[in-house]
Amino acid sequence: MLKYHHMAEVVLQTQGLSKEFTKRRGLSSPLHMFDKVTFTAVRGVDLTVGRGEVFGLLGPNGAGKTTLTKMLCTLLLPSRGSATICGYDLVRQQGKIKSSVALISSEERSFYWRLSGRENLKFFAALYGLSAERAYQRIPEVLELVGMTDAAARRFQEYSTGMKQRMALARGLLGDPEIFFMDEPTKGLDPVATHQLHDFIRDRLVSDGKTVVLATHHLAEAEEVCDRVGVMYGGEMKACGPIRELAGDATLAEYFLSLVKESQVDH
Amino acid sequence: MLFLRKPMAFLKKDFLMEVSYRFSFVLQFASIFFSVVMFYFVAKLLGEAPSVQNALRQYGGSYFSFVLIGIAFSNFLSVGLGSFSTSIRGEQMMGTLEAMLVTPTGLSNIILSSSQWNFMFTSLRVGVYLLFGALLFGLDLSSANVLPALVALALTVIAFSSLGIISASFIMIFKRGDPIAWVLSTSSTLLGGVYYPISILPGWLQGISYLFPITYSLDAIRLSLLQGAGFLAVGHDLIALIVFSIVTLPVSLLVFRYAVRRAKKDGSLSYY
Repeated sequence: MLKYHHMAEVVLQTQGLSKEFTKRRGLSSPLHMFDKVTFTAVRGVDLTVGRGEVFGLLGPNGAGKTTLTKMLCTLLLPSRGSATICGYDLVRQQGKIKSSVALISSEERSFYWRLSGRENLKFFAALYGLSAERAYQRIPEVLELVGMTDAAARRFQEYSTGMKQRMALARGLLGDPEIFFMDEPTKGLDPVATHQLHDFIRDRLVSDGKTVVLATHHLAEAEEVCDRVGVMYGGEMKACGPIRELAGDATLAEYFLSLVKESQVDH
Repeated sequence: MLFLRKPMAFLKKDFLMEVSYRFSFVLQFASIFFSVVMFYFVAKLLGEAPSVQNALRQYGGSYFSFVLIGIAFSNFLSVGLGSFSTSIRGEQMMGTLEAMLVTPTGLSNIILSSSQWNFMFTSLRVGVYLLFGALLFGLDLSSANVLPALVALALTVIAFSSLGIISASFIMIFKRGDPIAWVLSTSSTLLGGVYYPISILPGWLQGISYLFPITYSLDAIRLSLLQGAGFLAVGHDLIALIVFSIVTLPVSLLVFRYAVRRAKKDGSLSYY
């Protein structure tokens, strides 16, 4: 297991990264309908992740994991703070960052359901900037890697949840990115498919020098695959480090619950 | 040819999606046929009236030819105004927009490319309108001057698309209820000379009709296709369309850039 203090090369670094959403009160409060309300989804996150590391982002629902992940994938602009990914600035060099990262979520509707798995991959390969020749080579490779070669000609709508998730992984692999952001990738997967995904992360991605940032609220999953974890609550990073150092003699679940309870009292 | 790879991928994807709904694909052409038949009979009813012939003299006097070209080419108005916002909203609702936005393909490229199929399909629809009209109902295109008509069409697409991009910016922020496309589409159809020549409108309405690019587009296309008019004869229409595009295209791109930034700030890029 990789330890954070032995980090060979930093591929992701954030400093005071924050995201606030502002909206008007609207008709729910007619007397103050034009007053602005600000909600802080991510507050001052400092984070460093090294190459080849599997970093777990833990936290209950609404903790800010998805917002942080979306910011790091350039889907959201940060309100404050800064971040670099593979040495590129998160705000100023979004194009370079997009070539270096992949987002794999549990969102099944991010594919064209009436097209086949292969047709979907061909389309996204073009968007990832692969030439026709490169896509011709790469698509069978990624299908083979995720075990979807035989089902590639079937329409996406015919796939099981596990197959859809494998296609999401295949799409993420197309551009050969450095960092894989996975947002609850095992949601809805059965134990076998979950185990296969964990094996894939360890045996294929990490062994190939790739970095994985895994947002999850499955603590067993974090224990199984993560080198380090960060625990988020109310948009803040409450703790960050290797599981054994954080939890000590307790289990990760015990540590997590006590930290969340502590955070609830603070809030 | 690498720069064409992304637009071609969108075109192929949209074509495959369209033909996967086979019945709807065929039905669209059937509806064109019925529309042509309907206006053929309306034209028969009106065709002999001297006032109609008088009003349409500059286009050759046939109401059927006049209205068929009006309906066929006003399709470009609808697609130019609506296709960018429809594409964005479609991808938002399907859930595919976010997946595209994490790729190294810019949003402008995504939106322009995802509208291509609509323009191509509209060209096909316009061709079918003219084909039905010519083969079955005596539409006379024997003296057509195609090149000025094509130039007018290209300028029309640019002019309408600029307005469509502004409309898409609105959808990006407010998601639904875009008033821009509605106002422009309704006013253009009412005042732009789709179903009747603008010469029959009261003077003050005629003045307003010259604010809409469709007035110049349809005038140039009708004169070229029905009367064989050359570049010189439709020059004033082409210049008006060029001026319109020069003003609206940069404005639309600026508005669009603002809308994207705001949606990224609000986190509402993929909401619908």
